[in-house]
Amino acid sequence: MSDFAETLYDSYGQAFRIDEQLFELKTEHQHLIIFHNAAFGRVLALDGVVQTTEKDEFIYHEMLAHVPLLAHGDAKKVLIIGGGDGGMLREVTRHRQIVQITQVEIDQQVIDMCRQFLPNHSRGAFDDSRVNIVIDDGLNFVSQAAERFDVIISDSTDPVGPGEALFREDFYKACKRCLNAGGLLVTQNGVAFMQPDEVKATARRLGGIFNDWHFYSAAVPTYIGGIMTFGWATDNPELRRIGIETLRQRFTQSGIRTRYYNPEIHFASFALPQYLLEAIGKAGHEYHS
Amino acid sequence: MNTIRSSSFEQGAFYRELVQTHGSPLLVLDALKVREQYLALQRALPGVSFFYAIKSLPHPAILRLLGDMGAGFDMASSGEIALVRELRISARRTIHSHPIKRDSDIRDALRFGCTTFVVDNVDELLKFLPYKHRVGLFLRISFRSKAAVVDLSKKFGCAVEAVSDLLCLAARLGIHIKGLCFHVGSQCADAGRQVEAIDACNTLIRHHHDTGAAPVSTLDIGGGFPVAYDLGQVDIDGYCAPIRRALDALPAYVNVIAEPGRFLSAPSTTCIATVIGKAVRQGLNWYYLDDGVYSSFSGQIYDHMHYPLEVFSDDVRRMPSVLAGPTCDSIDVIAEDIPLPELHMGDLVAGHMMGAYTAASASDFNLLKKAKFIVLNDSTTAPSNRENSSVKAPFLTGSGVDRKIH
Repeated sequence: MSDFAETLYDSYGQAFRIDEQLFELKTEHQHLIIFHNAAFGRVLALDGVVQTTEKDEFIYHEMLAHVPLLAHGDAKKVLIIGGGDGGMLREVTRHRQIVQITQVEIDQQVIDMCRQFLPNHSRGAFDDSRVNIVIDDGLNFVSQAAERFDVIISDSTDPVGPGEALFREDFYKACKRCLNAGGLLVTQNGVAFMQPDEVKATARRLGGIFNDWHFYSAAVPTYIGGIMTFGWATDNPELRRIGIETLRQRFTQSGIRTRYYNPEIHFASFALPQYLLEAIGKAGHEYHS
Repeated sequence: MNTIRSSSFEQGAFYRELVQTHGSPLLVLDALKVREQYLALQRALPGVSFFYAIKSLPHPAILRLLGDMGAGFDMASSGEIALVRELRISARRTIHSHPIKRDSDIRDALRFGCTTFVVDNVDELLKFLPYKHRVGLFLRISFRSKAAVVDLSKKFGCAVEAVSDLLCLAARLGIHIKGLCFHVGSQCADAGRQVEAIDACNTLIRHHHDTGAAPVSTLDIGGGFPVAYDLGQVDIDGYCAPIRRALDALPAYVNVIAEPGRFLSAPSTTCIATVIGKAVRQGLNWYYLDDGVYSSFSGQIYDHMHYPLEVFSDDVRRMPSVLAGPTCDSIDVIAEDIPLPELHMGDLVAGHMMGAYTAASASDFNLLKKAKFIVLNDSTTAPSNRENSSVKAPFLTGSGVDRKIH
């Protein structure tokens, strides 16, 4: 019996028993492994860091999909950057009013592998007729694209590794260019308690580009060390202040059944602890403006 | 000077057989020898964790064997990381020990999963600001050693007087320094300088602890453990006795690690070269071999070592001779003015103790091919590669050539 010990931090970490190894891809550039663990189901790890598990992926995917889509209320065209496991696509396809979903993944192999070994993530979403899969570098796509989107979801890996470009200022600028008026960008932004510099850097970059930016949060157990933050950036400040009644109405209307998301969670997830507000330079004035 | 051993022609039969099968020049790596050295060092320094310095000989057979025996690995470049990754060695058992790194080197190591790095100055420390929440660093201190053949404290390491300020700065920046490290040099004549360095670190660690700061809880005592290049033996247990005493004086919470390279790899490998040309110049017999200082014998230039050489002849006469390498450069001479029996075209010359810093720094100058490696007693590879596993090199088994030593 062997263990998988995460190598994200030098002096602290989580370990999983590998009950069955299902897949391993080891190249000069990356090491990807999928295994089964009794407590978390199938676990996908890239370069020693847990990316997703069957047990808790719903928290992450529901929050990064439903919060922006229900805040927007009428998104027709959605762009997903990354998200090769298909979990984000699964949640986005649940919104019936969406006409077109474009997903840009850098590596077709990731999609193929996840469809085979993590089928519960996508649950057939890749076959949805509204979905258009583009194999391209995310930064390259948003820099070149002529299309415009209502919501862009950046479902990236961590900034040390293949997702590096998706945390850069030119990526955020290019995303803004690809948004329809009043459109919204949300991003995966790490666990700020453990890596406060990541959220600080994103805050600085988003602040220079969008009229309204903030973070919201959810606790995902296998992204260890506290709450995970999601970046929120738009030129329409109203989207962050949609009343809870409106959210309830939209949620009911959508008919979507969730396991983590609900309008109250949505509303509350924008309330950030003081250490986080301090990190992003909003302690003290956010609720006085 | 190279130590020269003349053996009988018959005693060269084993090597002639290997060359017949595998060609020449040849590097013969005996995995058993690595195992013996590792066990000897473990016995000499109980409680110390060893991280093999890959640079000394980055051969997969050594890494696999040491990995199976529970060793860790000391990596210093992205290429070495790629090798460790390829061999499926856990990143938790690696440290990145190069004091000077590019950002891309740090990122490559972090992506692999290695979170231990070494710094010795402010500029290097600042490189870790973006990764400060993920890493644990060693601070490298310079202790100059006159007794070391290779002085490793000249190029790297901060002064003892600078340690306190660097620790304070790191704490202020929120970068965790978890240990101290030093390298007094390689192939040290005695452990005196190592003991002084351990004592000095002991004082620093205790002083730092007294300030109420987060404990510096690891001491990396580097490598430098010597091997014998004169066909004799090093009493490693005796060599380490004063080190053991110095380590015993450390606070109980301090973990001790070491980075042996040469000690583990040097005795493992014998180079076999073939006489490909002869000449008489200024009263000396010149023999040109198919391996030289641009290739397997490069350690005679870079590492300043002179390997014990063995020739195989029943001729009892000795003539002043020169052994030269195959390249066009006149610096390519392995040994000059040494007494040898007359050698003939096709005769073999064996270079012993040639595992460390030999093949690792070989070039293909003149586009000459580097020597091929073969591995004896490799129990870690797939069965198809095990065909040599029952072969015993005579100089390793106590029979044959070894008799001449005792």
